[in-house]
Amino acid sequence: MESLLQELKEKIVSTLNLTEVSPEDIDDNEQLVGGRLGVDSIDVLELVIMLERDYSIKIEDREVGSMVFANLKNLADYVAANKPESSN
Amino acid sequence: MGAVSPAGNNLAELSSALRQAESSLRTLSLFSAPVPLPVGEISEEPKEEDLPRTHRLATVAAEEALHNSGAEPDAIVLGGTTGGMLTTEERLRGKQHDPSSFPWHGLITVANHLARTFNCSGPVINVSTACSSSTLAIKIAFDMLRAGRGRRILAGGADSLCRLTYHGFRLLQLVDPQGAKPFDRDRQGMSVGEGAAMLLLVAEDSPPAEAVAEIVGGGLSCDAFHATTPHPQGRGASGSMRAAMEDAGISEADIDYINLHGTGTPDGDLSEARALSRLFGPHVPHASSVKGMLGHSLGAAGAMETIISALSIADGFIPANTGCNNPDKDMGWVPCLSPMRKDTHSVLTSSFGFGGNNASLVLQGKEGDKKHPTTKGLSSLTVKGTACLTGGGDLKQSLGLVGKGRACKGLLSDQEISTQLEPATVRRMKRLPRMALSLAKSARNDAQASSGPEAVFWGTGWGPLSETHDFLNKLEQTGDQLSSAMDFIGAVHNAPAGNLGTYFQAEGPNITTTAGDYSFEQALYTACLLSDQLKEDFLVLAAEEYQQSFSPLFDSSLQADPTPSDGGGALWVTAAEDRRHPKIMPPFLAFPTESSSVIPRLIQSLGGPERIREEIGAIFLGIPGQFRSSAREQLQEFLTITEFQGPMVDYRLWTGEFASASVVAAVLAVQLVREGNIPAPLTYGGEDLPLRDRGILLLGLGEHVTATRITP
Repeated sequence: MESLLQELKEKIVSTLNLTEVSPEDIDDNEQLVGGRLGVDSIDVLELVIMLERDYSIKIEDREVGSMVFANLKNLADYVAANKPESSN
Repeated sequence: MGAVSPAGNNLAELSSALRQAESSLRTLSLFSAPVPLPVGEISEEPKEEDLPRTHRLATVAAEEALHNSGAEPDAIVLGGTTGGMLTTEERLRGKQHDPSSFPWHGLITVANHLARTFNCSGPVINVSTACSSSTLAIKIAFDMLRAGRGRRILAGGADSLCRLTYHGFRLLQLVDPQGAKPFDRDRQGMSVGEGAAMLLLVAEDSPPAEAVAEIVGGGLSCDAFHATTPHPQGRGASGSMRAAMEDAGISEADIDYINLHGTGTPDGDLSEARALSRLFGPHVPHASSVKGMLGHSLGAAGAMETIISALSIADGFIPANTGCNNPDKDMGWVPCLSPMRKDTHSVLTSSFGFGGNNASLVLQGKEGDKKHPTTKGLSSLTVKGTACLTGGGDLKQSLGLVGKGRACKGLLSDQEISTQLEPATVRRMKRLPRMALSLAKSARNDAQASSGPEAVFWGTGWGPLSETHDFLNKLEQTGDQLSSAMDFIGAVHNAPAGNLGTYFQAEGPNITTTAGDYSFEQALYTACLLSDQLKEDFLVLAAEEYQQSFSPLFDSSLQADPTPSDGGGALWVTAAEDRRHPKIMPPFLAFPTESSSVIPRLIQSLGGPERIREEIGAIFLGIPGQFRSSAREQLQEFLTITEFQGPMVDYRLWTGEFASASVVAAVLAVQLVREGNIPAPLTYGGEDLPLRDRGILLLGLGEHVTATRITP
């Protein structure tokens, strides 16, 4: 789980071009959307696309999306639980 | 009027379909997609011309609108977002890397084609403000008529389906897989569509017999809220509607029918519903959206819905809000669920675009005795501050180079462009929007302004090419499955202007003109046209980015100069007089056709040969590389008639070849007029030339012809 958390933090920073943030700075439990990182609805869409592209996970439901992107821990848990076995 | 829509290839078919109120949405078949969704697709009869789809649709609609109408239009004003994009996508995928394969990519080429086909040699203007484009085009044409800038203007819009928009909206999760259901409780989003809608607007003392309806008011506003989410309380939307009604001199109680924007998105429809409640309280008039029937034809939607509003008046009926079966109770009112007969005298129609660009119109029956006050016409603007970016740097650096006879061509790095910009603000912006923001901030600082701008007038020939390229590239690489949402949002031509609106909280008009090499002049023209509606300072700016794959393909002028160059400029202006600052005059705009030279009219607009010789100290020549030969002829004619002897500067030799180079010339000219002197390297005489109260003339030559004066 640690390496997945780290990997997701790196992907968030690079996908959203958060040039002033290093992945280690992101707390597992801090609010992602609407939090201090300035992540908004457009960023969420970009992350949804990233999940599909990199983990073959589709998020089509707004409520599921709100839960998944609430914080890093939720995101990592969801990815670990839902990614198809064949991807690494 | 003329219309080509998913409901039929002419107005009669559209009108009949509206009465039946059945959806014309069908599964996508125009191109392949992994999951074909319901779209508003036109059944086009096969044509042999080598024109892109948008251009063909526009021509058919224009033909219908101009049929039997007699004289040529005095001007053409169009709105659009896709231009030749469908053809461009196919050719890129066919690995065509030859600039001659992309002559129709640019948005202005649609309007240019109509100008040639229908012999219009007046202003040929193109605006691109996403979903509000053609409502804005009609509003601009309306203002031009009231300002006495013509008596017959063809106005409208056209957009074809293409992969960029089809997949872009899908990836934004704004599309309803079942088809759009505007204002329905279970709505999931829009259905992308296509269409072409054209209106011939005439200014006469009394309505011509064949007139369908009358435009009596128009209003513009900007949400200044977010790139894609509308203001949740519908503030910007109610702003443009209120402005349109005030302009028409009517109140909410006078409105018989509202033709809604209503795309079917959860947030968009709710925002519009709230705007209606703000304006009309509990007494919302009959209202409906036709996008459940036709889909959302983006740049054509505004004009299509203006036509439908006119039909509503002429035929005495109100269209149904097709697609809505269970109206959303959160809205507080119910749209018209079936078509109804009703005497309709006053109709309000609106379009709300990405970036919060809002435009509304009020139409009335032609029997009304509305007298339009003649407006002030086009105003000169006082230039309080300027900024520019070129390969050589900012204004000071660029002028320093040019003043020593050295070119300022080339490309600044992305970092150099971003020096004044906060990383958190620009993290989603690629090259062009960063240039626009940097220019706007610099011009504001130069003007020492502490508030504003009230409005933004932005010109760009090719738009955000980095975002466009990256979106299309990722789309193709993933087999049309995935791409970047940020790139799609950033790829619309008006995105940089929308960013400025949000950044500066500029809630007035937010206009984007895309007219190739003449984009700056058209932004300036619309600014001069609309400035009497503005109370505060505002911005007129233009910029172009060099994108290494697309720029050489789309802009043939780049073949004339091997040094890739880009840049832009901004002017912080006001309509108020202020003798401490130079002025920029409303530009003369024209479109040379085979049958008429526009040079004599241009010279007349400047006051004639003698006044030109007396009042102009130097001429800056805008000669795009691809139009050198026609430009030379035009210049020769100009010099023969005016006998102008002063220095002339072919400024693209200094700035490099890029579509918005004329804004750089304008900013440099303002600075030289301030200094009252033309430096020796530009005068050919080896000596400085004192201007002595004379101004500088910017001539734009080639496919369009423009003339802009800067005076002390």
